[in-house]
This record gives sequence, structure tokens and C-alpha cells, in this order.
Amino acid sequence: MKRLWTTFHYTYAGLRGQILAWGLGLAIYGLLIVPMYDSLFAKQDTFQKMLASYPPEFLAFFGAETTSMLTPGGFLGMYAFSMMPVIIGIFAVMAGSSLIIGDEERGRLDLILAHPVGRTSFFFGRTLGILGATMSIMVLGWAGFSILLGGSSLGFNLAQMAVPFLPLLVQILLYVTLALMLSLLLPSRNLAAMIAGAVMVASYFISSMAFMDERVQAVSNLMPYHYFQTVLSFDELNLTWLAALLGISAVMTVFAWLRFLRRDIRLTGEGSWRMAFLFRRRKRV
Amino acid sequence: MNAISTIVPNSEVALQVQGLTKSYGKVRALRGIDLEVKRGEIFGFLGPNGAGKTTTIRCLLDMIRPDGGSALLLGLDPQSNPVAVQARTGYLPGEMQFFDNLTAERQLHFFSDMRDGRAEWSFVRELAGRLDLDLKQPIKNLSKGNKQKVAVIQAFMHRPELLLLDEPTSGLDPLMQQEVLGLLREANAAGATIFFSSHIMSEVENVAGRVAIIRSGEIVEMAETGSLIRRTLNRITVRFKQPVKVAEFASLPGVEVISQSGGNSITLQVAGDMEMLVQKLGRLPVLDLETDRPSLEEVFLTYYKN
Repeated sequence: MKRLWTTFHYTYAGLRGQILAWGLGLAIYGLLIVPMYDSLFAKQDTFQKMLASYPPEFLAFFGAETTSMLTPGGFLGMYAFSMMPVIIGIFAVMAGSSLIIGDEERGRLDLILAHPVGRTSFFFGRTLGILGATMSIMVLGWAGFSILLGGSSLGFNLAQMAVPFLPLLVQILLYVTLALMLSLLLPSRNLAAMIAGAVMVASYFISSMAFMDERVQAVSNLMPYHYFQTVLSFDELNLTWLAALLGISAVMTVFAWLRFLRRDIRLTGEGSWRMAFLFRRRKRV
Repeated sequence: MNAISTIVPNSEVALQVQGLTKSYGKVRALRGIDLEVKRGEIFGFLGPNGAGKTTTIRCLLDMIRPDGGSALLLGLDPQSNPVAVQARTGYLPGEMQFFDNLTAERQLHFFSDMRDGRAEWSFVRELAGRLDLDLKQPIKNLSKGNKQKVAVIQAFMHRPELLLLDEPTSGLDPLMQQEVLGLLREANAAGATIFFSSHIMSEVENVAGRVAIIRSGEIVEMAETGSLIRRTLNRITVRFKQPVKVAEFASLPGVEVISQSGGNSITLQVAGDMEMLVQKLGRLPVLDLETDRPSLEEVFLTYYKN
């Protein structure tokens, strides 16, 4: 356990640059967006006319409707949270794909695992590290959105402001674990990041445009973004969706862990397309 | 699935390897390695690039999983008890990469923390002083040789019972090479068993008590260093009172003509028994005779002829 926490400590410390960059970026965005609502609300008639002129497809792409956009929840949904899974998802895909394989491709994993840490402790230490980093980004973002809440006419309190960060956190963790799992299955980190990123972007586009075509709707039901909510009330949160997405993340994490336990560690560089069986056993005589 | 056999642990043996095989696709990197390294000895592992040295060492530390065979390090199976094995061993990889944004000291702290802080920091500083390494320097600013010094320190700093070193003096200047060899001897004198691979024959010859030569994934020779040299080859330079025919010697079994100077002086290399050559020389007008012990490099190269 001690070495798991040592690994966690070093992983979290190693991600501090990204925590600050993404977290402060999110916080600064919150500092800008929250006061913007008051300006928008003062010009709502003009704004309403402008929105009515836009095609519904355009508004749907940004997760907006003409009637709800001027409500506090609709405003934050469109301007703040609708694209966050894709934007913060960049961190998820890059950090998740390089969590283990990044060190392997740079030739460092060999020596790290020659120390008495154990693959399981190392894996979960790293995983907890990135979980902590992701939560820290969310906390920093929440802090930025919350600082000016008191002077805003949005009318939310600190706890309500934290609610939309929960489904956002779950979405990000999904892409972290997807990228992690793919990095351990595929020959290279780059390929894993590409595929995870493609799933993330495709999920956003397909889910945004789903209302236009029933066939797209069917596909959208399989996309993670379809289950992303930008609500500001805990009562409106679909806990089943959250639990299901977390469950999928957990399954992918376990799959990645099992794969890591059994695979050979490369000296350096990218691997070949030849993949060993996941469950490889040797018979003792 | 591959069947493997189990080794009977021997408390006097630090490293036991039996029938180790490993393939990378169609490439058979190890074709059945058998090794035994006694506790407290320095064992050299010789082979050219791609012979299987690094693959063998990485199998022993559970970096890669062999296809067949088995191994015990200090009586422990590295696949069943990797953490226990790794706690008692020190490893120096052939290719070292570090976290470039850390200083050498911070990097060594990381490795020490991964061993629950077992390294005595006074010993780390002592090693750094002997190897002339500035611990405050960022890794990214260090030359290849200085990075190798960091690698050497991390392998030795926790005073392991067993050291697995892959080309420990690679990239070091001659003075530092001698310093590292000195560290090997001191660690060995303190009871550590050392298993190291090298291309530098002179250092293996000077340090290792026994050597194994690996070729294309197989051990082709394993013996005490001195007896290997004595047993395998002798070089003899003979001066005669009058010219002799070279063909008379070339036809003798195990005899190879290395060079001839004029018709009176000839240098021969003899593998194995010298009795027939001595009998032949006894019938010739020999003026002078000089024998020369071959270097381990020459011994090594005989396994790679043809």
C-alpha cells in the first residue's frame, strides 16, 4: 500500500502543471462567463430576436434552445458546460493515454518496475493520481465559477454551482479510462490518443445533431455525450446515468489493469501490431 | 501454452536459470538458457549485440515473461514474487532514461522512495563523490556518462544482495570505469552477488570469476575465467634455426597458423591439447619458443568465427 501511495504522490505531483493549466483555464473562463449573464439578461429582447434568426440545427449544435438560453441554467449549459467534455477531454485523452505507456515509450518504465513496487500498486497508484488530478481541475474550475456568484443574477449558491461539474467529471473520467485502456491494447500511445479523441469528438457531434435524424438518434444513444447533463440542481441529476458511466469507466480500468499485468514491458518506443492474448497462462509440470 | 519445469531451490546459489526460452514473433531470442550463479561470486555474461543478454536479464526481473523454462533469484520465483525479488536486487539497464525535469538528486530520491526509503543518503553522497557526479544538476543537462553514473548509484545505493548489471561501464571514461569496477569488488566483498554483461573483455577478465558466453540465444560456454582462457587457446611463437614449411603445422589438429615472418619464425594458435604440436616441434631445429595467453576477447571471438 505504501508504494501505491508513493506512486500516487509522484504521479499527482507530475501532473501539477496540467492541473494548474487546465484548472486555472477553466476557472478564468468561469470568472468571465458568470458576469456575462447580467449583460445578456439586460439585452434579452435583442438577444431573443437574434436567436430566433438562427437555424435550430445551429443552436442544437451548441446545446441551446431559444427559450432556455436566457435562463440561468440554459445560459450556463450553452456557454459554459456544453463543450467542456470535448475541451477538458483533450487533457483526458492525452493524460490517460500516456499514464503508463508514456513512460514505456520513453524507456523509463523498465527501471521503475525493476523497483519493488509491483505492477498492481504501480497501476492503481498512477490511476488514482490521474483521478486526483482530474478532480483537482474540477475543483479549480468550480472555484472560478463560484467566486463572482454572489454579485451575479444567476441566483445559484456554491453547492448548486458544483452540480454540473459532477457529470463533467464523469465524462472526463470515461475518456481517461478509455485512452488508458486503448494505450495498453494498441501498439502506441499516439494511436490510443487518436482513437479516444475521435470517439470523444464524434460523440459530441453525433449527440448534438441527433434530433435531426432518427438514425443518428439511434447511434447517439451509444455515445457518452448523450448521457451528459448540464443541470444545476442535484434533483435533476440522472444518477443512473452517472453510475452507468462510472461503471463503464471502472470496467475499462480493470481491463487495462489485467492487460498491464500480463504484457511484456518494452524497452522503449512503440510496439508492434502483434498482440498477446489477454489471459496468457503457462502450465507447470 | 508452454510446459515449464520447476527448479529445486539451492541456498548456495543466487541465480538459477533452467531452460529459459523467449521468442518475439518468429525471432527466437532465447533458446533454452541454463545458468547457475553462486552466492558471492562475480559472474560475467558475454555476447554480441542481439545475442540475448538483455532479454535474459529482463526475464529474470519479470519485465518480460519467458515462453518456457524457469528461474529463481535468491530462491524466489520472479514471476510469483516479483516484489520480493526486486526488493533484494539492484538493476542497471543497458539503456537508461530518466525524468529529464528532475535533478539527479531528486531522481535518486524517487528511486529510494520506491524502495521505501531504504537508501542511506550518506552512502548516496559518497557514491556521487567517488563518481564525480554533481547531484544538483538537472538530468537533462547531464552527459551520457553522467547519466550512467546516476544509473550506477541507483543500482548500488540500497546495498542489494544481488546486482544485475547490463554493461555497467558503458559511456564512462577509463577512470570512472575503474571506479565502477572498484564498486563491484567492494559490493562483492560485502557479500553481494554480481551478474553483469559487458562487451569490454578486459574488465570481465579482471573482475569476473566465471563467465558465460551467449550466442544466438544459447549458452555456448560457461567456465571460470582463468580456466577458459587457459583451456581454450594458446598462442605460440617459434623461431627456428632454419626455414620450415608452414604446411607441416597447419595440418595438425587444433593448430592454426597466425603469421609467418620470413621462413624462420612462425606464430601458431593452438586450441586444446598441445601434445602433438610439442612432438612435432621436438623433431625440428627450434631456436626459441614463446607462449602467450590469449585475452578473453580472443577466446570470445573464437565462438563467433564462421
